[in-house]
Amino acid sequence: MSETNAQAAIVQTVAISKQYKGGRIHVESRRGEGKDRIRLVPALNGIDMTVGKGEIIGIIGPSGSGKTTLLNMIGGLDRPSHGKVLVDNVDLSTFNDDQLADYRLRKIGFIFQFYNLIPTLTALENVELPMNLAGVPKQEQENHAYELLRTVGLESRVGHMPVEMSGGEQQRVAVARALANNPLVILGDEPTGDLDSKSAEALMDLIVSLRKDRKMTFVLVTHDPLVVVECDRVYSIRDGKILRTQTKAENKKIIGDERSMLSKLY
Amino acid sequence: MSSLSLAYRSLRRRKVRTALTVSGIVTGVALILVLFSLTAGASTQTNGLVRSLSPAQITVTNSTRPSFPGGTGTGGFPGGGGSGFGGGGGFGGFFGTSETVSQSLADQIGNITGVYAATPQLSVTGYVGGSNAFVYGIDPSTYSEVTGGLNIVSGAMLSSSTIDQVVLGQTLAQSLNATVGSTVTIGQNSTGGDAFAVVGIYTAANSFEERSAYVPLASAQSLSGDAGKVTDIYVKANNPSYVSTIASEITSSIPGVNAVTAASSTLSASSLSGTLTTFFTVIGLVALLAGGFGVINTMIISTTERTREIGTLRAIGAKKGQVLRLFISEAFLIGLIGGAAGVLVGVVVALLLPSFTGAASATGFGGRGVGGLFGGALTPTLTPEVVLLSLCLGIVVGVLGGLYPAWRASRLDPVEALRHV
Repeated sequence: MSETNAQAAIVQTVAISKQYKGGRIHVESRRGEGKDRIRLVPALNGIDMTVGKGEIIGIIGPSGSGKTTLLNMIGGLDRPSHGKVLVDNVDLSTFNDDQLADYRLRKIGFIFQFYNLIPTLTALENVELPMNLAGVPKQEQENHAYELLRTVGLESRVGHMPVEMSGGEQQRVAVARALANNPLVILGDEPTGDLDSKSAEALMDLIVSLRKDRKMTFVLVTHDPLVVVECDRVYSIRDGKILRTQTKAENKKIIGDERSMLSKLY
Repeated sequence: MSSLSLAYRSLRRRKVRTALTVSGIVTGVALILVLFSLTAGASTQTNGLVRSLSPAQITVTNSTRPSFPGGTGTGGFPGGGGSGFGGGGGFGGFFGTSETVSQSLADQIGNITGVYAATPQLSVTGYVGGSNAFVYGIDPSTYSEVTGGLNIVSGAMLSSSTIDQVVLGQTLAQSLNATVGSTVTIGQNSTGGDAFAVVGIYTAANSFEERSAYVPLASAQSLSGDAGKVTDIYVKANNPSYVSTIASEITSSIPGVNAVTAASSTLSASSLSGTLTTFFTVIGLVALLAGGFGVINTMIISTTERTREIGTLRAIGAKKGQVLRLFISEAFLIGLIGGAAGVLVGVVVALLLPSFTGAASATGFGGRGVGGLFGGALTPTLTPEVVLLSLCLGIVVGVLGGLYPAWRASRLDPVEALRHV
């Protein structure tokens, strides 16, 4: 993997670890209740990972395995306790908070399970937002946002508010928003998690075509076989460690088996 | 899309809550505006009123009559305890005078050491040309010397001791359509009376003081049947520093009289208006404070509800400062809308107020007394400064109320915020 992509690696994590103060990573004790705060809970434990340009990378694993934490490290939302994250050969640990925000703005696109569009803004304005934050001139924002919405097949929805759109449509607006400042990599946290299978397939078609047409790179945390089959590589994480790495061919075989197994069960 | 338009969108999205928050500021700003305008009006007008009510350095009256401004500052001057008033409902429709003193006291006081001159005045109420008005009987030979005289704008002052001449206030003259050379009747009721030749027209600081007529003392005395009586004796000292000494000498040497100095009237009136200003300002500030807490409350709810939205903004690259600016913009808008609406409400209230209290000042009890003072004090003065200050207060309260919630929002950990359901 890293050998084959070393030349074009745009994201590299080097032995990153993360410890949270006790309980804080668990949803049920998020408010910091209980007396075990001082106890450090390991979320990640020495992750080495390389992402090459134009790859679609999957991260799978059970709840609490550290998938989202890993994604947040790459996205500059969280900092590792040990190790480093290199993006475009720049070490993120050298950035202060504002520089990290700027990094997220210009180098990273995020897509979320629940789309996270700004509810008071139209589809077009949601796509304009990152450009607005980056200080792109107004006319340019609008032209580019319109073009991106056409790319994701929503040119007829530019003036719609998020509530007026289906989940699949909202997620495609979110993809257009993620593309707005032409990032190095788009990070998705369960991007199909809230979509029906038809919308999920359409989203994956879009992601595959963006990789093909724009050489766009994706790192997707997922449980969804529909996503996994499209990934060039899948990192399987458990207890903060990489359990194994599977290639596309292996995945197809596993998922094929799973499907035949499921078809026998039901 | 600026922070302001983003802020505006989210305020519009929660219309009812925004309206309720804004209404807190509206109340405070409107109250403050009315109070500012009232106290501005009060302080300019009470001082003028006191000066015009006490034209001389010392005013000597019958001691059974409450003197202006008395203990509370609102005592009925000059007719509060008068015999001829019908009470709060206006004039009784007949001539009346207040408690009087003997006219001869004027000469007696004039002989006191240090007194430059003393002049008698009889204040009566009656009908001038069919309209009720104050009629003042004065001694033209000494009146101007002691009080500074009337501000004659047309014609002349009364010529000494000539009976059946009158100087009218401009407002009264206009309402009677009278000019110099006209003849008006002055009498006990709206139909009868004696004919007086109009020799002059005067103006005064405010229009209700122009609703009066000045006639020779003897004419006033014969109209009211108070021969040899006067209501006030105005005294002027040789030197202003003798005033209080002379006043106390008058009260000690002449039984049954009060001597009020202009300085003491002005002092009590201005301390009254100072007290009112403080009182009103405190009420207004408390209202604004409550409005400010309303903003804090709403904004905290709003930022909590929008935690995930804030997380999203931070994830897609918004800096802490940009989130801070977004929420301060919301608070600013709440303050601006509240301030503007508050100014509107306040201006309407301020404009409507005189129509409730103004009636008392024009025709009500005392005319120049209680109603006069309050009518004057409750005439709001709307200046651009008052309006601007009220608007700014609204904005300041909004922004101050928004500071803490905005700071809290900007400090949210984006990872935690994104996990918020």
